[in-house]
Amino acid sequence: MARLYSQLWCGATGLAVPLLTLASPGLLTVAGVGPSWAVLWLLPWALVDGPRSGAVAGLALGMALDGLQLGGASQIPALALLGWWWGRLGRNGPPVERSFSLGLLAALGSLLLGASLLLQLGLPGSGGWSGEVVLLSGLHTLLAQGLITALLAPLVCSLQLLFWRQQVSLRN
Amino acid sequence: MNGRLPRVPTLQKLLQAWPWWLFLLALVGVRLSKGAFLTDAYALLSRPFWPGTAQGEWIQAATRLADQTRLAQLEQDNRRLRGLLDLQRGRGDAITAPVISRETGGWWQQLELGKGQLQGVAAGDPVLGPGGLLGLVQSVTPSTARVRLLTDPGSHVGVWVGRTQRHGLLIGQGTARPVLHFLDKDTGVRPGDVVSTSPASTLLPANVTVGVIQSVNDQAVPAPEAVVQLSAPLDAVDWVQVVPRRAGA
Repeated sequence: MARLYSQLWCGATGLAVPLLTLASPGLLTVAGVGPSWAVLWLLPWALVDGPRSGAVAGLALGMALDGLQLGGASQIPALALLGWWWGRLGRNGPPVERSFSLGLLAALGSLLLGASLLLQLGLPGSGGWSGEVVLLSGLHTLLAQGLITALLAPLVCSLQLLFWRQQVSLRN
Repeated sequence: MNGRLPRVPTLQKLLQAWPWWLFLLALVGVRLSKGAFLTDAYALLSRPFWPGTAQGEWIQAATRLADQTRLAQLEQDNRRLRGLLDLQRGRGDAITAPVISRETGGWWQQLELGKGQLQGVAAGDPVLGPGGLLGLVQSVTPSTARVRLLTDPGSHVGVWVGRTQRHGLLIGQGTARPVLHFLDKDTGVRPGDVVSTSPASTLLPANVTVGVIQSVNDQAVPAPEAVVQLSAPLDAVDWVQVVPRRAGA
């Protein structure tokens, strides 16, 4: 069975994630917070390509994104875990295709990613965020990012799912 | 002498001269009102000949010129005195850099600048924008620099309230308004006070505006706190100035 990761150009599309994160288009924001582009790219990839490829893709994306941020917290654990989980969902369960399912999975992924960052940043000696900052700014970012990611997922992830499945079936 | 007395004017003649009586009454009125009517009438008649906007502009232009000259002289004096005190120099050799990426509402508040190590930018350099201090350079690559904004929760910058001459530590909250933590209990600050960098700072350019105090919490423990509205528009700034710290070394 053909795999997406064996096609170099498919993996290269992941470069769009750090580029979009840097560009942070102002139109696609809720209360000044943009979506998690990593979640929007990783979800269809992992659903089509399986848990191992999903975890590796999450790891790679996390490493790239950690290099673009100020530091104090890492996105690697959450993205790798999400890639593995979504890969298992794609392999074991019925195919995930409906807009609501994609939106829900993206929202859960974004919330999990945000919660892991919040946990790390709130730890003393890591990010050094005070309890007040965690409540004021952290929860705001967490919820706003979850919302905008869930809203964009049906559009972005559906197209990606179609495209990746087409590539896999063509190779087979 | 025929012994005849001069004739007393009759009442009728007195009444016939009423315009003169009225004129006399008007003069008495002018005298009693200290010429109010006359000056008002003069003001009304001479209004077309009053000094117009042209004269006002000349005076304003002259005042501006005088202010600019005075400012240049003071800056020159300031540079000379700071040089004598071996403090940091002004912004003469600042590096102008474009903002190529901006994240002011996510997990981290940061800017990416389009100039880096090759152009002389180094970690720790202060970054100024229109309106005041924006943050400090956190890391550099050969052609880019990452700036931690004052609003980032990891940002801790020493600042100064000029009116009360109090130092404080400005700490980002992840929102648009960082909080100023004072070191003394009795600060005397109030909303509206301007916050700037310290005049004796060796890490930051001196006397750069940071923001304005919006509210003060005197009950905070262990020392009062104040919410600061930054003067530089972080969401809209497209070009910034990086002040190399070695300029003051």
